[in-house]
Amino acid sequence: MTAHDPLPELDPVIHAQPRLRIVVALATLNAGDRVAFPRLQQLVGMTPGNLSTHLRKLEEAGYVAVEKAFRRRTPVTWLSVTRTGRRALEDYTWSLGRLLNAAEPQPAPQNPPAPAPSEAS
Amino acid sequence: MPASTGDPADPTGAVASPTSPPASPAESLRLIDAQRKQAARAFFGTPVPILALWGVAWTLGFGAYYVTAADGHHLPAWVAGVVLALLGAAATAASVVQFVRQRRGLRGPSPSVAARYFWSWPIATLAMAVFDLGLDRQGLPGSVQSLLWSASFLFVAGLLYLAGGVLFGDTVMFALGAWTVVVAGASTFAGVPGNFAVLSLAGGGGLLLAAAVLRPRFRPARGA
Repeated sequence: MTAHDPLPELDPVIHAQPRLRIVVALATLNAGDRVAFPRLQQLVGMTPGNLSTHLRKLEEAGYVAVEKAFRRRTPVTWLSVTRTGRRALEDYTWSLGRLLNAAEPQPAPQNPPAPAPSEAS
Repeated sequence: MPASTGDPADPTGAVASPTSPPASPAESLRLIDAQRKQAARAFFGTPVPILALWGVAWTLGFGAYYVTAADGHHLPAWVAGVVLALLGAAATAASVVQFVRQRRGLRGPSPSVAARYFWSWPIATLAMAVFDLGLDRQGLPGSVQSLLWSASFLFVAGLLYLAGGVLFGDTVMFALGAWTVVVAGASTFAGVPGNFAVLSLAGGGGLLLAAAVLRPRFRPARGA
């Protein structure tokens, strides 16, 4: 990582499409609100095993909070996006916007082509 | 990682992305937008069908009352009562079904607020009915009863739309509430049967207009 990368790196945790969709779906809920596993599964259209795998990765990254509880003796898993996760999604969306702008022809670039700005990648 | 480094000697001057995403950024942004819309629709639903149903119920129900009262008793008044009751029951059922389906599998502060708002409707409406019954028992003339019942229910609905506009930060809902309470208040000045025309056209019409204004905002995401 150099101090001045010309373009932002994309967060590998949510760069995977299924995980991106999970975080986007959870981020539509207001802070403090949680959704049960089956409802999220229905929304994103994944198999339970698939969703569990992605949720574990997201939980490890600290993006998603997983809360196991019991309701009338039945286990329920409640899911929500953490503040870190919300910020990661915001950063990711911002980075995409920058990449998009960079891909378009720029009439007058701010920096003239500097000699090898990103050698250490 | 097959990261292509930006080539400083690129004659076109275009900056190659250091981490080329499998999907283009534009495509990823579209995906995020579509998923966000789909999730918002699933979690929060759309008020449009419910508003439209209630709009139809008020318009046709009170329209029927106006017709039976205004045009020399070709139709008995109970027909209008049945029309309004059936349409109102259908709209109520749709509201309950939507509420139950939306609440399933959600927990937290926002679903609790939504639940309290939902329960405000039967509580306020029943209390209004009791209030009207109490006045009726004191021996109100028939025309006053008719003015009272129709206007009071629309007034309660208007107040709750105002509350909904405040709770959910929805300008259209707030405007609908303001319009509805004004219409309800003004309807008593029209007398019977003019009040039914006011409630049908202005009251039901307001609901239908609100549904039409909100429709584009809740259109399903493209391709989803």
